[in-house]
Amino acid sequence: MLNRRSFIALALVPAFPARAQERLRYVFDQSIGRIGFSARHLGLFTSTGQFERFQATLLIDPANPANASVDCVVETAEVSIPFPGGNDLLRSESFFDVARHPTARFQGQANGLTEAGDFPIAGDLAVRGITRPFRMTARLVERQGGVARFQAEGEMRRGEFGMVTDRTFISDVIRLKVDVRIAV
Amino acid sequence: MSEEPPRWSLAQRRLHAWGAILIVLTFALSLAMVALPMSQLLAKFLAYQLHKSFGLLVLIVTLLRLFLRWRRVSPELTGVTPPWQRAARLGQAVLYGLLLVVPALGYLTAQAAAGPVPTTLFLVIPVPHILDPNPALYAWLRPTHQIAAWSLILLAGSHVALAVRHQLQGVAVLRRIWG
Repeated sequence: MLNRRSFIALALVPAFPARAQERLRYVFDQSIGRIGFSARHLGLFTSTGQFERFQATLLIDPANPANASVDCVVETAEVSIPFPGGNDLLRSESFFDVARHPTARFQGQANGLTEAGDFPIAGDLAVRGITRPFRMTARLVERQGGVARFQAEGEMRRGEFGMVTDRTFISDVIRLKVDVRIAV
Repeated sequence: MSEEPPRWSLAQRRLHAWGAILIVLTFALSLAMVALPMSQLLAKFLAYQLHKSFGLLVLIVTLLRLFLRWRRVSPELTGVTPPWQRAARLGQAVLYGLLLVVPALGYLTAQAAAGPVPTTLFLVIPVPHILDPNPALYAWLRPTHQIAAWSLILLAGSHVALAVRHQLQGVAVLRRIWG
């Protein structure tokens, strides 16, 4: 459910008038969006966390989201996981190394194609100063009144970004999930 | 030869011994699991799982012991004065209470923690959780479990010390429960 605060925030976007191809520019952050991640542990259970601060820019034609492009910068120090000591572990050199790499970034573009409502967003993911191709699958989850809710999911291998520690207990594959509501 | 003094039944003596061993193991694991750094996550996870597994066994052993105590005649405690007998009964009652309460609180503490980690008995048998993560409840459960556990350890230690003291004073209480 939308609370009053997020509804007001939604009412403020789009921040800029329409551009070419009728794409609108939306700027959003953690107040109306969520960027979560999850890891598997010994095949027994999943842990999930999120980034408490990020800034994202979305160029999208709500009527044709398969032309969307996105640029998202997260503040790695604001990583949050509900286990005692977990945040410090993720901020440490073995993981995000926030002292040296305070931000991580994803820049991606949809290619105009959709498949059963899903549209891929391919681009580059930069974590710990290492940039790799990354692909997310996005879709319009629901559209109610003037609000459209989009979700995107993708899998990264943390080892490719130099996060190689404790592979026995923490899966190499990390699932990323983005959830955002925009006023359309 | 003098008459054999009354003893607890073999099953009761065995369960008492297993309970004692399990409590020591569970308590030692609790210190280790908290002390282990996040950089040794696998060891930390295993320590927590074993702590939870042994702790639940303590609960099962205690329930069995209470069942046998109810079903069977308790051996008379001879050779000590009535005040000591009453103190022993009271001490045992509190011990039984803590042996039930500490594992039960631990079971709930694990579930109320904000980061849900499943409980799997010896990494094999999944134990259902009846609570959802609840930080407010956890903030109460976690220290309560800890204080109750320390109380149990201190009381069990006194229980052992007093039994040894009686034994040294010539009252053969250890023979009743051990071996």
